[in-house]
Amino acid sequence: MYISHNSVTNLRKNVMIAFFMLIFLILIGRLYYLQIIKGPSYKGIAEANRIRVVPIEAPRGIIYDRKGQIIADNESQYNIHVIPYEFKQTPLADSILSAILGLSSKQINARIRNNWRGQFVPVKIAEDVDFKIITTIEEHRLDLPGVIYSLEPVRAFPTIIRMSQSLGYVREIAPGDLRRSENQEYKQGDVIGWKGVERQYENVLKGNRGYNFIQVDALGREVGRLEDRSNIPPNPGNDMFLAVDLDLQIYAESLVEGYKAGIVVMDANSGEILSIVSKPDYPPGIFSGVVSNNIWNQLRSNPDLPMYNRATQGTYPPGSTFKIVAILTALETQAVDPEWSIVCHGQYRLGRRIFKCWEARGHGRMKMHDAIVHSCNVYFYNLIRRLDLNDWANMGKIFKFGAETGCDLYGESAGVMPDVNFLDRKYGENGWTDGNKLNLVIGQGDVLVTPIQMARFSAALATHGKLVRPHVGLKYIDRRTNQTIFFTSKTDSIRSISPPSWEFVETAMNDVVSSGTGRGARVKGVPVFGKTGTAQNPHGEAHAWFIGYMKEPDQTIAIAVLVEHGKSGGGIAAQVAGKIFNFIHQQTVMQTVANNASVNF
Amino acid sequence: MRQSISKRFIHFIGSLSNLNRLIMVIVGLLCLIGLLSVYSASLNMEGSFFQKVFGRQMIWLVIGSLIAAAIYFLQKKLIFDSAYIIYSIGFVFLLVPYFLGSSVAGTARWIPVGSMGIQPSEFMKILVMLAIARFVASTSYSNLDFKFVLIPALFSLIPMFVVLKQPDLGTSIIYFGLLFPMLYWSGARIFHLFIIIAPVISVITAFNFYSFFVWVIIVLLVLYLTKEKLWISLAVMLSNLALGLATPVLWNSLKPYQQQRISTLFNIEADPQGAGYQVIQSKIAIGSGGLFGKGIAHGTQTHLKFLPEQHTDFIFSVIGEEYGFIGVVVVLLLFLAFLILCLYIAYRQKDRFCSLCMVGVVSIIGIHVMINVAMTVGLMPVTGLPLPFISYGGSFLLTCFILLGLALNIGSDKQY
Repeated sequence: MYISHNSVTNLRKNVMIAFFMLIFLILIGRLYYLQIIKGPSYKGIAEANRIRVVPIEAPRGIIYDRKGQIIADNESQYNIHVIPYEFKQTPLADSILSAILGLSSKQINARIRNNWRGQFVPVKIAEDVDFKIITTIEEHRLDLPGVIYSLEPVRAFPTIIRMSQSLGYVREIAPGDLRRSENQEYKQGDVIGWKGVERQYENVLKGNRGYNFIQVDALGREVGRLEDRSNIPPNPGNDMFLAVDLDLQIYAESLVEGYKAGIVVMDANSGEILSIVSKPDYPPGIFSGVVSNNIWNQLRSNPDLPMYNRATQGTYPPGSTFKIVAILTALETQAVDPEWSIVCHGQYRLGRRIFKCWEARGHGRMKMHDAIVHSCNVYFYNLIRRLDLNDWANMGKIFKFGAETGCDLYGESAGVMPDVNFLDRKYGENGWTDGNKLNLVIGQGDVLVTPIQMARFSAALATHGKLVRPHVGLKYIDRRTNQTIFFTSKTDSIRSISPPSWEFVETAMNDVVSSGTGRGARVKGVPVFGKTGTAQNPHGEAHAWFIGYMKEPDQTIAIAVLVEHGKSGGGIAAQVAGKIFNFIHQQTVMQTVANNASVNF
Repeated sequence: MRQSISKRFIHFIGSLSNLNRLIMVIVGLLCLIGLLSVYSASLNMEGSFFQKVFGRQMIWLVIGSLIAAAIYFLQKKLIFDSAYIIYSIGFVFLLVPYFLGSSVAGTARWIPVGSMGIQPSEFMKILVMLAIARFVASTSYSNLDFKFVLIPALFSLIPMFVVLKQPDLGTSIIYFGLLFPMLYWSGARIFHLFIIIAPVISVITAFNFYSFFVWVIIVLLVLYLTKEKLWISLAVMLSNLALGLATPVLWNSLKPYQQQRISTLFNIEADPQGAGYQVIQSKIAIGSGGLFGKGIAHGTQTHLKFLPEQHTDFIFSVIGEEYGFIGVVVVLLLFLAFLILCLYIAYRQKDRFCSLCMVGVVSIIGIHVMINVAMTVGLMPVTGLPLPFISYGGSFLLTCFILLGLALNIGSDKQY
């Protein structure tokens, strides 16, 4: 074979040989340094001492409420680890340890095997042990080489606050997530936020584990620090503040104890969630430390679904609260005049079907305003037949029903906002009639909403068109720079609805509370606006709704209360809303008094 | 004419050239040392003989020798003719792991075969080398032409980026690294090689002001000494300056997770505890070996199993501990002898293709040895390159034996 002539010069050959010789000389020099010059000192380290790398877990950031009261902080739990190599040097060690821990030596060996990461890497074999066990282990120090304990921070909740589903919890990272964490920032055994705030703000709250490098002798006794390696201190996570008001939250939770309910209270202008309740719930500390399978299975198989966030994930028919959408449609399309009236005899006939009003005796002659105040179904049956269903659906979509609110709680539901296309798809083009329209206008049938969507709807009504993004996260303090960083939140506004329409609805909602179905929500000395709803459902008693808002001089509070099977919106739902409004109002009053008092001094 | 197998074997050995016999002795010694070290490292492992890495290593050595023999008998013309085709096939295989689903860290480089895996990027090292050799040997461009350098550079850069994405820094260094000795050997202008390597150095030095400053002075010196056309010099200078200045800005504009992904390249292989633990332990093991070492299977550090990669990437620390300074010097001298012998054979070749293949073998083996040892003694970041003929590992060991077969083939001076 001969392709072309080899033209390498002698010089280039020699340069290459010289290059390799030089590098190998450097390597041999380095080995000379390590083995001959530093040899004796390394020999000392190798024969008498070994290095132990002890991880130090970092606490997660503390979660405060808006006033700086602690919602979640950390407490320490003791864990027991075993260094396999040292542990196996003493034949009796595992029987002694099994007696102390109350585990069979078979179990201990199985745990060592399952979490094995090398002869010299500590393996966790028991979590959250009693302090007494630690002292017993220390007493048997010489019989238990290689048995060490560590302090691990776990979540603690100093108050009786629940808010469980929205706070979320932390758990050991799942193997799947571990593989997905692209940048290897998590390691096996790390904890990670699984739900709610803990998940959403994982990057803020997460701490970084540190390491101590310790020299130990053959018996596993510490003999000192390592010279050429300084310890890496753990970095606690950043502390964060929620928009939630701890006192209000606990109070609101107490109001619906024993019910299945979802409540969202928020600042109408900013979307800051002051309280978010989903009942039934569970104590949030239940997942700290060791979670027995028993508790876990109980929570998961509970038919009342305590792990499910009714405020953001639960979808319900909105009932009469949704009549406001029809009113705004009528006003904006000018399909009917506010003065247009009908007579309610307690029922409405469509072909052979009869649609009832909730007031069996009938409301008599009803204009638009009265129809809202008394929530007269017959008025709305008449009204929807004069409206284009798509106009109505578009009005719903202006308020972003049928879409997630984009709140900062993971796993939100979008609900359903039906339009003509939707009904065509579901029932076939001729498969649905005006009967469906009649159901939809009073918030029954295919329309489904979540409490958090309704709270945003109330806020939009209160602010005449501000569509906020509800959020529980307020700000955090960056631990490195000590700066407070606010979470930004987007606000849209609705421009297609004219001021007279907003005002018309506002007046009517005010009368709902002062003289209509929502009297339960009245608060002395402050204007409250609202609309009740009673949503029929196939599973039992009707769901009770109240949506509305309270206008304080310097803030507007929007609310949505849903009580499953609460019978009627004018009952429990309105009363709960009233109590919450009153609570906030009293706080404001006391604050004002306190402010004035300080001026007088 | 019927001969017994042993007679044929003796005849075969007799037919080898002296240099080839020397190479075989050197490699045999290296394999023996490797086998003993792997035996030490795997002493405490559980399982039957052939489940242990020691047993498997023996099987790999036998398979490797057979493959080397097969390569020895191949026609050189055949290797030359098929270089581009097998390069293309190898490149396709390089992409296969990406389509096998899971993007688990570190698994993007394996194609599962039965209970084991094949690592196409290992074999690609040879294919890159052959493709470059063929191009250089058959090209009509003159040595002074930039295209002469550019196309081989593409042969190595394209698979390099694929492998970088896996992420496998070590292997990509090999693809990039073997380019320079081969082009240098073939007479390429140093200035052209400089243009290719300069951006890499600019980026690396840019993280420290002083190192970048020194580098800029070096660039200026090189440009002054090479006396290129003014506009070319200016372009090279400015583009490197711009690259260097932009690097810190670009780096800071990356999201933390992106930064981490890049720095992960440097420690994913051997730092599962995230604390540079391996290198400390490796230094202690080597250092404690002293002048004579602790003897075969007597390395205390080796037996404590603190190094997860002990029988693969950190095998050199076992040698250092058990055979001491004398042992490691012998190993390094054996490698050096191998490299110099091969370079000598390459120099003697009449044919450019054969000569370049030989230099390619030298480059691949040489870079592996230098980087692996430098990493084990703490002179370089951990990149996860094994030690040729000594480290345990199927794909890599086979690659080394293929290279050996090539070297013997070329060194045989046979005329077909």
